[in-house]
Amino acid sequence: MASYLVTILTLVAIISILGLALNLQWGLCGMVNFGLTGFFALGAYTAAIVGLSGAGTFAATLAAVVVCSLSCGLVALVSLRLSEDYLAILTLGFGEVVRLVVLNEEWLTHGSLGLPGIPRPFWGLVSEDKYEYLFLGLLAVVILILFIALEMLLRSPFGRAIRAVREDDVVAATLGKNVLMLRVKVFALGGAIIGIAGSFHAFYMTYIDPSQFQMIVTAYVFMAVIAGGRGSNSGLLLGSVLLMAAIEGTRYLKDIFNVFDATQLSAIRLILIGLGLILLLIFRPQGCLGEYRLQIKGRESKPRDIAVQTKTRAT
Amino acid sequence: MSAGDFILQTKDVAAGYGGGDIISNVSVDVESGKIFTVIGPNGSGKSTFIKVLAGLLRPRVGGITIGDEQIAKLSAPERVAKGVAYVPQEYNVFANLTINENLRLSTEFLKRNRQATDEQRSRVLEMFPEVGSRLTLKAGYLSGGQRQMLAFACAMMAAPVVLLLDEPSAGLAPKFVSEIFDRIKAVNETGLTVVMIEQNVKEALRIADNVMVLVNGSPRLFVPAAEIGSHDLHKLFLG
Amino acid sequence: MIAQYVLNGFVSGMILALPAIGLTLVYGILKFPNFAFGAMMTAGAYIALILNVNFGLSLLWSAALAAVIFAMIAVVIDQTVFRQLRDRDSITLLVCSMGVSFVLENIARFIFGNAARSFDLVIARPKYILGLKVNNEQIITAIIALAAMAAVYFILRHTALGRAMRAVADNPALAAVRGVRRENIICWTWVIAGSLTAIAGVLAGMDRAIDPMLGWNYIVSTFAAAILGGLGNPVGAVIGALAVGIVEETSTLIIPPNYRQAMSFLVIALLLLMRPQGLLGVATIKK
Repeated sequence: MASYLVTILTLVAIISILGLALNLQWGLCGMVNFGLTGFFALGAYTAAIVGLSGAGTFAATLAAVVVCSLSCGLVALVSLRLSEDYLAILTLGFGEVVRLVVLNEEWLTHGSLGLPGIPRPFWGLVSEDKYEYLFLGLLAVVILILFIALEMLLRSPFGRAIRAVREDDVVAATLGKNVLMLRVKVFALGGAIIGIAGSFHAFYMTYIDPSQFQMIVTAYVFMAVIAGGRGSNSGLLLGSVLLMAAIEGTRYLKDIFNVFDATQLSAIRLILIGLGLILLLIFRPQGCLGEYRLQIKGRESKPRDIAVQTKTRAT
Repeated sequence: MSAGDFILQTKDVAAGYGGGDIISNVSVDVESGKIFTVIGPNGSGKSTFIKVLAGLLRPRVGGITIGDEQIAKLSAPERVAKGVAYVPQEYNVFANLTINENLRLSTEFLKRNRQATDEQRSRVLEMFPEVGSRLTLKAGYLSGGQRQMLAFACAMMAAPVVLLLDEPSAGLAPKFVSEIFDRIKAVNETGLTVVMIEQNVKEALRIADNVMVLVNGSPRLFVPAAEIGSHDLHKLFLG
Repeated sequence: MIAQYVLNGFVSGMILALPAIGLTLVYGILKFPNFAFGAMMTAGAYIALILNVNFGLSLLWSAALAAVIFAMIAVVIDQTVFRQLRDRDSITLLVCSMGVSFVLENIARFIFGNAARSFDLVIARPKYILGLKVNNEQIITAIIALAAMAAVYFILRHTALGRAMRAVADNPALAAVRGVRRENIICWTWVIAGSLTAIAGVLAGMDRAIDPMLGWNYIVSTFAAAILGGLGNPVGAVIGALAVGIVEETSTLIIPPNYRQAMSFLVIALLLLMRPQGLLGVATIKK
C-alpha cells in the first residue's frame, strides 16, 4: 500500500513540476504551450542519452535543462509579436516534430523500442527497496525549491514587468524589444523546468519510449493547472493531487466495467479526461478552489460580448 | 402630446458593461417623425445609450418600447425586424464585402417581400447616388465619408421606422459634415424618426427637433431644440 | 521524376484543403483554432467505414452520407460545448477543443479498437496520364475534393448565407445590427466545416489505413495550410493546402518521408517569422 502511494505521489510530483512550468508560461505570461509533451520528451530523452553515456545524472539533468530552455526560447522568439493562437500552433507543431524525431532517429533514441537502463540519481545510497522513498524525497525538495523560486520571481521586478506586459498589449508594443524579450526569457525558464521534469521522469522510469509522451500528458497538465486555478502555484499542487486521485480512481472502473477489454477501458478513461477538461473549462475555469487566483485582469477571460467589442472611445 | 405620438420610449433605463452603470434613470420619449438628438461631454454615456437602443447592450433595468411593443429583451437582429436601424460610429461597413453585398445583406435576413425590398432599394440608391455608382467595389476601398454614406444607406435598406445614428459626423472631413447632416434632414423629411448622438453640438442642433443633454450618465435637460438657446450648455456639460 | 512528386503533392494537398477550409472558416467566425478537426476527420472516416463496409454503400454514397451525419454531430458538439464558452478567449476554446478531440478519438477507439481498417474499394489499375502515374484513389480524391471546394466557394460568394458568414467573420456586432443572427450563422459554419472535415477523413482513409489516430497525421499540415493562406481566408486555405501538399511531397526527395509534418512545421515557423498574415492574408495589428 505504501509503495502504491509512493508511486502515485511520484507521478503527482512530476506532473506538478510540469504544471509549475505551464503556470509560469501560461498562467503568468499568457503564453500557451501546447507542445508541452514534446518538450517533456525532449528533456527526458536528453537526460536519458546523456545519462546512458556515463556522464552522471547531474550532467544529464543539466543537459536536459539546457536543451529544453533553448528550444523553448527559440520557439517563443519566432512568434513573439503574434497573438497567443500562433504560439499555441507553433508549440503544437514543435511537439509533433519532437515526436517524429524520437520515433525515427533510431540511432539516437532506438525509436519505438525505447531506451532502457537509465541511471538514477543517488542510486546506491540506500538499499534498493528504500530507493523510491529517497527519490520521492528528492522530488519534494526540488519542487519546494522551484516553488519558492517562482513565488519570489512573481514578486520581483522581473515578475512585475512580466505582468505589466501581459495585462496591456499596448504597453508591450510601445515599450519595445526589451520587454518582449522578457517573455522569451520566461518561456525559456519554463522550458528549463520542463527539462527538470523530463529528466526526473527518465530517472524514475529507467526506461523511456515514445508511448509515454502522448498528447494526453499535455491534457493532464492543463487540467491540473486549470483545476488549481490558472496562475496559482499552490492551487496547482492541489490540482495535481486531485487530478491524480481522479485518474487513479478511474482505474477501479475496470472492476465495474469488466465486460470491456483493455483498449476499451483505456478509451473510457481518456474520454473521461476529455470530458473532465471540458467541464472544468465550462463550469470552473477559475479552478476548484473558488476565487483564489492571481489577479490577472484582461487575459483571464476576455469578454467577447458583442457590446464590448464595439466599445469605442467613451462618448 | 398624446402617447400615440411617441414612437420610441425608454423608461428608467440603466446599463453598463459589468463595472457599474454608465447610464441610469434614462427615460425618454421620442416623437414620431422628428429628429431627437442627444448631446453631452465625453464619457457621458451617449454611446452606451444608443447601443442599448440598438440592442447591442442589454439594459440592467428599465424598459424600451417601440409603439406598444416591449423590445428591451430583444436581441439586435430581432430589433432590426421591428424597424430599428443602427449606424455605428466606426467599423460600420463590411470592408471585405462589395457595396452591393453590403446593401443586400441589410435586407436578406428580414422577412420582407421581394417587391417591397426592391422598391426600397431603388429609393435608397436614389437618395445615395455615390453608393449606386460603384456597386462592385469592395467597401474597404471607400473613403471615410463614402463609408459613412454606405453605412447610412445600408441602414435605410431595411425601411426602418427609427434610425439610430452614432456620431454621424465623427472622423469626417469638414466638407462632409454639413453634407451628412443635410442628408439626415432629408431622410427625416420622408417621415423617418431619427435618434442621434453627437459630439458636434452646432451641427446637431441645426437639424434637431428635440434635444437631450446627457451628463455623467443621467439626463440633465430635455427640451425642444428651439429652446436650447436659453440654457447654459457650457455649465451643464461641466456639471 | 519531380513532376510525379508534384502531382502526388497536388492530390494530397487537395485532401488537406478541405479541413484547412473548415479550420479557417471556424477561426474566422468563431475566432479560435479548432484543434479537434483531426479527430473530426477520424470520426468522418469511421462513419463512412460503417456505411461502406457494414451497410454496403458505395464509397461515394458513404462519403456523402458521412458528411451529412457528421455535420449534425458537429452542430451538436458546438451547441453543447462551444456555445457555453462563446464569450471566452480563444485559448480557452482551444484547450476545450483538445478535450473534444480526446472524446471523439476515444469514442472511435472504444467502438473499433486500435486495429487498422480500410474501405471496400474497387481495386483498379493505375492510369498513366502524360507519363505520370495516377491511381484510381487519386482521381476520386481530386473529383470529390474539387466538388466540395466548388460548393463551398459557391456558398460563400453567391448566397445570402455566404455573405452573412463573411460579414460575421468581419464584424459580428455590425452583422447583428444588420439583422444577421450570429448563432444561426455559427450553426451553418459547423455544418459546412463538419462536412468538409468528414469528407477529408474519408479521403484520408482511402490514402492510408483508418485507425483512431488518422487525423493526427494531418494536424500540423492543415494548420500550416491555413496559416499560409491567412487564417480566416478560405481561398487562401486552398492555395495554402496545395502548396503544403506539394512542399511535403517534394521534400521526400531530400528528407525521409516520415518527416513530412516536420516540413509543415518549418513552413509555419518561417511564415510566422516573416509574414504571419500568410501569403494572401491582410496584415492586422497583433502585438
